[in-house]
Amino acid sequence: MDDDYASTDEDYQYSDQDVEEEDSVGEFYENADDSIQLPSSIAPAAQVITKESLIVAQKEDLRRVMDMLSVRQEHARIMLIYHRWDVEKLFEVYVEKGKAFMFAQAGVSVDEYHDSGSLDSAIVMCEICMDDIPSDEATRMDCGHCFCNTCWTQHFFVKVNEGQSKRIRCMAHKCNSICDEAVVRTLLGRKHPDMAEKYARFLLESYIEDNNKVKWCPSTPHCGNAIRVGGDDDLCEVECSCGEQFCFKCLSEAHSPCSCLMWELWEKKCRDESETVNWITVHTKSCPKCHKPVEKNGGCNLVSCICGQAFCWLCGGATGRDHTWSSIAGHSCGRYKEQEKSAERAKRDLYRYMHYHNRYKAHTDSFKLESKLKDIIQGKISITEEKHSGRKKTELNDYSWVNNGLLRLFRSRRVLSYSYAFAFYMFGDELFKEQMSEAEREMKQNLFEDQQQQLEANVEKLSKILEEPFDTFKYAKLMEIRMQIITLSALIDDLCKKMYECIDNDLLDSINLGSVHSIAPYKSKGIEKASELPVCWSNKADNTEMLLSEKDSCIYAASVGVTAELNQSEESGCSSRKRARKEGGFFDLNLPAEVVDRN
Amino acid sequence: MQASRARLFKEYKEVQREKTADPDIQLVCDDSNIFKWTALIKGPSETPFDGGVFQLAFSVPEHYPLQPPQVRFLTKIFHPNVHFKTGEICLDILKTAWSPAWTLQSVCRAIIALMAHPEPDSPLNCDSGNLLRSGDVRGYQSMARMYTRLAAMPKKG
Ligand SMILES: [Zn+2]
Ligand SMILES: [Zn+2]
Ligand SMILES: [Zn+2]
Ligand SMILES: [Zn+2]
Ligand SMILES: [Zn+2]
Ligand SMILES: [Zn+2]
Ligand SMILES: [Zn+2]
Repeated sequence: MDDDYASTDEDYQYSDQDVEEEDSVGEFYENADDSIQLPSSIAPAAQVITKESLIVAQKEDLRRVMDMLSVRQEHARIMLIYHRWDVEKLFEVYVEKGKAFMFAQAGVSVDEYHDSGSLDSAIVMCEICMDDIPSDEATRMDCGHCFCNTCWTQHFFVKVNEGQSKRIRCMAHKCNSICDEAVVRTLLGRKHPDMAEKYARFLLESYIEDNNKVKWCPSTPHCGNAIRVGGDDDLCEVECSCGEQFCFKCLSEAHSPCSCLMWELWEKKCRDESETVNWITVHTKSCPKCHKPVEKNGGCNLVSCICGQAFCWLCGGATGRDHTWSSIAGHSCGRYKEQEKSAERAKRDLYRYMHYHNRYKAHTDSFKLESKLKDIIQGKISITEEKHSGRKKTELNDYSWVNNGLLRLFRSRRVLSYSYAFAFYMFGDELFKEQMSEAEREMKQNLFEDQQQQLEANVEKLSKILEEPFDTFKYAKLMEIRMQIITLSALIDDLCKKMYECIDNDLLDSINLGSVHSIAPYKSKGIEKASELPVCWSNKADNTEMLLSEKDSCIYAASVGVTAELNQSEESGCSSRKRARKEGGFFDLNLPAEVVDRN
Repeated sequence: MQASRARLFKEYKEVQREKTADPDIQLVCDDSNIFKWTALIKGPSETPFDGGVFQLAFSVPEHYPLQPPQVRFLTKIFHPNVHFKTGEICLDILKTAWSPAWTLQSVCRAIIALMAHPEPDSPLNCDSGNLLRSGDVRGYQSMARMYTRLAAMPKKG
């Protein structure tokens, strides 16, 4: 499972060979070495949660709460939903405010009324339908309130239908208690099995919907997966197993080193037609006589159309042809100065935008073109492999340097293109005008652009080298190009890292805006690929114990669903291969109502 | 839905039986539609609504009593929690705090209680709410009394 990038350490023994970037060689090798010795991820990694692994994904949190507070699973779930699946927060409330408060707050009633009262009388009066009913057709919730099964069922139906099923409250006035999961499933399942399924799904999906650390993958059409990130920071970029890469915080495409806000603004700006409209108003005016658009050709505000009509650029009005620099004979429009100014500004803003946008777009386009390189390079590798197969030299058995170079190119292209959107806002008036003096801004801009240019130059160099027909090269030349690619890749990685550091430490640091403009950290290995959570229980002993000791309370985990899963796992070795087979089988995980009944 | 019909029928019988129990409330079901009700309620004493009789219109939803009935004043009333033009009432039990254990009768009682204890912080009638919030109780009372006289009392002569 080692990332392919790591395998380059074998290459470092060639550092004494001739390379282009001689002066920086020593430095970046050291850096590269550092990064390899460090454990690549201390924080728990991002994980893909599929429909099938959703139960397993929440098991651990439920388990912790159940153990800590010795409560039933459904009570643990009620409290976790209330606290948005933040176990630490829940324990905090427990420690600070006590158990009773925590239960009441979340709507958990702990069996106070168990087996008391009403059972003596054979007939109870339901306060909802006002009917007298045999007590075995009524249900008493943990809070003590008792109504007839028909009314309860109706109540559950209405709530699930309204999409409020994660927290269905008791029907009694001012009762904050959440209805028992098992009761809801059983009663609803008898009359409306579809609604019982919906209810179960809502409860299960609460782990995704009401959880700051888990989000649905934003792919369209939706792949059905959710991503859970580790650690405390939701500021990261991840790749789902479906291939979708996105910013975990704002769910749009991965956009660092832009902050989420910058990216939102930038995307909107790029979408807006107004820029184009702006361009036309800045650059052309229609002739008052023939209405053709006329472009201004010089500084003079007296323009003439090909039809021969002269007119005033500022007001668009027809004029005679005599004029001085500041006035036009027989015409005074009075708007000269003001209009001139705003037009100049609009023009300047537009040029500025175009400058950044052109570069942003150029790199995005290159990225798209280079994506095609992958296959071409694969072809070249096969040819080269064939050609040099007689050699025993170890260094040529492995062509990872080409692929690593290519990956480095892709990653740095991304960084480069987004860095232009970043620069547009960092050094523009829209966001930080008040935060920086003119001089400070200029200084920072120079600092940043210097780094950006270095990166850009090296990325282009790498791109060019990767396009060379190395499959036709002789051995010595091949070794040379190999070294160049390795060296350049390391250098570029280092430059990217430095650019992020510069943004973090030198540019954004002094701007006191909290974390609004925090950027997702740079990762040498590219956007983190979320690993798939195994579908089966990770620990069998744990599982058995769970099945035995909590048979009655584990609605989803017990018998049917999980046992089926286990059997499958034993056959196929819990791989994601099952996914295709299990398509649409998600609801099988729920117990049919009869099974709950028997408990 | 059959359930709501059955429940409303029970409430109807209850109302007939208890007719004299609560003299301040007179609940009447529409002859042809059991989902439409009207109520006449007496303005509570020691309030600017004293002496007035106010008419309420109930519209009962299909999922009643799991969903609350819609109630509005048909009689004009100057009250911070009642919309002056539409008669719409802002009362928590008619919205989020609804419980199926409430009945039309008990809703009437809650509305009478609201008339006696307005909540100026969630006003539907801003003028009235502002008077109360600014502490001008007399201003509020005289306005409310005036509208009670104009709209909620039988015309003399
Ligand atoms: Zn009932
Ligand atoms: Zn209750
Ligand atoms: Zn996905
Ligand atoms: Zn973002
Ligand atoms: Zn013309
Ligand atoms: Zn002019
Ligand atoms: Zn309101």
